Amino acid sequence: MSEKARVLIIDDDPDFVDGIRGVLEAAGYQVDAVYNPKAGFEALKRRPPDLLLLDILMGRGAEGVMLARKMRKDPQLSQIPTLIITGLREQIAFLFPGQAVHPHILAVDELMEKPVDPQLLLDRVKALLDAAARRRVAG
Amino acid sequence: MSAGARVLIIDDEEIVLDVCREILEGDNYTVATAPDGAQGLSLAEEFGPDVVFVDLKMPGLSGFEVLERLRTRDPSIVPIVITGYATLASAVEAMQKGAYDFVPKPFTPEEFRLITRRALEKRRLVRETIALRREQEMLRENFAAIVAHELKAPLAAVQQNLLLLTVELADRLTDAQKERLARLRSRLDDLLKMIDTWLRAISADLGKIRERFLPTDVAGVIAKAVETVQPYAARKDIEITQALPPSLPAVHGDEGTLGEALTNVLSNAVKYSYAGGKVGVSARVDDERILIAVTDAGVGIAPDELPYIFGDFYRGRAGVTGEAGAGLGLAVTRRIVEAHGGTITAESMPGKGSTFVITLPVRRAAEAARDRPEAQNRPVAPLGGAV
Repeated sequence: MSEKARVLIIDDDPDFVDGIRGVLEAAGYQVDAVYNPKAGFEALKRRPPDLLLLDILMGRGAEGVMLARKMRKDPQLSQIPTLIITGLREQIAFLFPGQAVHPHILAVDELMEKPVDPQLLLDRVKALLDAAARRRVAG
Repeated sequence: MSAGARVLIIDDEEIVLDVCREILEGDNYTVATAPDGAQGLSLAEEFGPDVVFVDLKMPGLSGFEVLERLRTRDPSIVPIVITGYATLASAVEAMQKGAYDFVPKPFTPEEFRLITRRALEKRRLVRETIALRREQEMLRENFAAIVAHELKAPLAAVQQNLLLLTVELADRLTDAQKERLARLRSRLDDLLKMIDTWLRAISADLGKIRERFLPTDVAGVIAKAVETVQPYAARKDIEITQALPPSLPAVHGDEGTLGEALTNVLSNAVKYSYAGGKVGVSARVDDERILIAVTDAGVGIAPDELPYIFGDFYRGRAGVTGEAGAGLGLAVTRRIVEAHGGTITAESMPGKGSTFVITLPVRRAAEAARDRPEAQNRPVAPLGGAV
């Protein structure tokens, strides 16, 4: 990873985004943020990031889930490593019954609960980026 | 609500219809009439009456039948029977079947007006009650979501920034200042956890989960719960080991809440374990029951506390790192397990660790248990006076 990896955050809470952005920027990532699902989708299409941080409970209901569904239908966007961050507590895995272990809203994703421990966040981000890099080499 | 109120009158005597119409239209009501039950019912459909007067003795569809069909279609319509002296007994019967009042023939205009006004007042009350009840249900159903978003989101944002400040100021703060920052974070953490637990206790009607019971794969539930707790275990360098038979029979249950129950027990095991310790999950089948055991080698529970740990608002003495909860986790867990016809028990040695065992009936036995109402009603009492 010689180039700075680009991380896009889509979350409707600017204060929360600031808290995350600082952690990621301090670790050397280039961070962009968009504060609603619609603009988020446009930003994704315009320039797909190396990694997406997505709040799935934006706005009224789960607009982020809708965004994730739209991403899954798009062959290019569905491959973006995505870290889903949500205010729901850890039982979120159980909101998607019948699936083996993990909801996997997207092909490549990982779940975390708000607020996120900074080190845990960096660990997950790095793991997802490394896995994506390995896939690229293999592919 | 008298002005514009809609009144439907069903009677085979034209003179009655005319007289009633005349009385009510003078008072600004909107009136519709029908000469028999069948026409009355189809008129009620499009007219949308507030009050319906039905003659009990009509050719064709009887007044009783009309009453019954009106009520099944819209229980908020106020039905009143019109009856001659000879059928007073049937008027009483009609009221027993749900008519709100009766008008004995012959009647004076004033009597008729009075009964109509009373009926409309009743209609207003019925509609208010229905609206109130609907509002309460909406609030109850959406309470968790509303509070989760409105209350938790700002707290999470504050916490996230505290976490960032901790990192950013790491080499500029004194130890005392760092310690203060850590306490702020820990208080916020407690608050966030408490909201989660309270939400759970308030919003979940555990009595209702039986309605959506399905054949549920226990191994899958265990796997999900372990995966959920894994990150927290990893942070404390705790290994979660699993000893499961190659296959487990299904239980009749609800995957979501069962998973939550198991997650609660597992995260307790992690919480009360020493760093670097082990937590074990095992399962076996014994006599139509599945036994799931979660064992830790942590701080343990004192014998005098053990009988109370599944009660509401019991709070264990602080965990290894001083963690504390709202004292509802195990109470909710117990309710979930009991709603599944199962049991949860705990054994513990202070300083040595604890073992929690959840027992669930395998599917066939569980389905049979559904036919025993006393087994259903007992376990899932609402939180004792708390909400």
